[in-house]
Amino acid sequence: MANPASAPLLRVEAITMTFGGIVAIDNLSLDVKQGQILALMGPNGAGKTTTFHVIAGVHKPDRGSIVFEGRDITAMRPDGRCRAGLARTFQITQPFEQLSVTENIMVGARPFHSTMAELRKACEAYADKVGLGDKLDAPAKGLSTGQRKRLELARAMATRPRLLLMDEVTGGVDMKSIPGLIDLVRTLRSDGLTIVLIEHNMKVISELADEAIFMNRGARMVSGTPREVASDPAVVELYLGEAADGH
Amino acid sequence: MFKPFTLQARLGMAGVLLAMLLLPALTADPYVMHVMVLTMIFGIFASAWNLVTGFAGLKTFGHHAFFGLGAYGSALIAINLGLSPWFTIWLGGLIAAAAGLLIGTPILRIRSMPHVAIVTLGFAEIVRICVANLSGLTRGEMGLWGIPQFEGFTLPLVGPVSFTPADKVSFYYLALALTVLVLLVIVRLMRSKTGLAMLAMRDGEDAAESLGVNLTRMKLMVFGLSAFIVGIAGAFYAHYLSILTPASAVGVDLMISIIAMVLVGGLGTVSGPLVGAFALTLMIEAMRDLENYRLLGYGALIVVIVMFLPKGLVTLRERFFPRPQEQ
Repeated sequence: MANPASAPLLRVEAITMTFGGIVAIDNLSLDVKQGQILALMGPNGAGKTTTFHVIAGVHKPDRGSIVFEGRDITAMRPDGRCRAGLARTFQITQPFEQLSVTENIMVGARPFHSTMAELRKACEAYADKVGLGDKLDAPAKGLSTGQRKRLELARAMATRPRLLLMDEVTGGVDMKSIPGLIDLVRTLRSDGLTIVLIEHNMKVISELADEAIFMNRGARMVSGTPREVASDPAVVELYLGEAADGH
Repeated sequence: MFKPFTLQARLGMAGVLLAMLLLPALTADPYVMHVMVLTMIFGIFASAWNLVTGFAGLKTFGHHAFFGLGAYGSALIAINLGLSPWFTIWLGGLIAAAAGLLIGTPILRIRSMPHVAIVTLGFAEIVRICVANLSGLTRGEMGLWGIPQFEGFTLPLVGPVSFTPADKVSFYYLALALTVLVLLVIVRLMRSKTGLAMLAMRDGEDAAESLGVNLTRMKLMVFGLSAFIVGIAGAFYAHYLSILTPASAVGVDLMISIIAMVLVGGLGTVSGPLVGAFALTLMIEAMRDLENYRLLGYGALIVVIVMFLPKGLVTLRERFFPRPQEQ
């Protein structure tokens, strides 16, 4: 048994994931330490979201293993991983459209409250926390992109995770909402949550992340502090190349 | 859906129940009673199908298999083993539930809903063909007759209660009791945490799974429960009419009218299937004088309702009695 103080919270060990001959993740390993915020960066198609799917259990890797809190969860289904303390948000938000904002959050918090009234009350507090306190009974269908991202966060938080995977939480969100989201993530971390982000916005990464991993073609290309990664010549060239291609 | 019932809703439900209880006192006409009994049987069937399709989001088109299995199962056990229908209707439900779990296990892993629809429809067709061809057991297309009726009993204060073709009132109350029971089960389920998880699964499987909902277990549970309820409806139908044919108990026409009832009443609502069953049965009975043209009128009415009230007749209530706004 590894010493929990020194062992990483999550260890991704040499995972490879292919889809019909296309290698989406190529022998990727990474450790997420307790309490840290790790950012996954990289161009489109680098395998960031696939990595999230493998960690969250949506895809089973062809090779390699996922160890969470010292326990091999490679064969566990997504709902089991949620109960084990691993939560995630989706890049393309998936609100339960016919449920209200509070009810959406209640789905995540089901195991922790015995009566519906208690459950509702606890979840109204989560909605408040992410700034949806004035939308409690509004159907999730009518929310804006930024509100949907916040709802995803609240829902994931309601499962009381120890590790949170956030897939482009600022994607499609208007610029003036971003500082609020950054503050929210900071609060989550100070509450003891460990976070892995997929993020394109360099400002968000440099403000939040302790460590960044730059992925390309399914593998780790560069890693270090956000500043080190951003100034790495290979990363600069890749992004400039993308820009020159008109992306 | 998950908030306590308002006073208005409680009064509405009590009013409807009272009206249903008093109806036989106003008219015990056997024809009216017969239509009402059939309405409630189909209302139960429609509610159970709505549970799977409207609440859990599984597009199944083969629930008439469970109706037929419950009907033939209960009838054959009662005939061949001499058991009381009071007991065999529950066995009919269990047979249907077992069949539901059996076919549910492979098909519910399919995420593509059109495939689920086709597979369930195919399963029901297999059941119908089996029932039609196992004539040694089911008498096939000739029809299974001589199905025992419920035994009578004596109620204190009311006196003897008998279940014969001449006395439809007792069947009416029995059907009403079953309907209320099924409705209570569905309301309790849908207002619970399990109901919440079920609606989440309907609106987004991946998201629900990421929030700890075990999709396979949830689908099997709701499929088994729904098949059980439909099986009991079928069994009651068998002992009420005393005669079954493959077309009447396992025909696809039956499934189509159930789907129409749910869509007309309101898919994904608790009262919609019952309202739809009532409205469509009433409609087709009211047009009896039109003879064959009534099917044309019936179809036209369904089209009109679906066009102008796409979420069903129950949305009329919202229109006339809007819920108090909370914000």
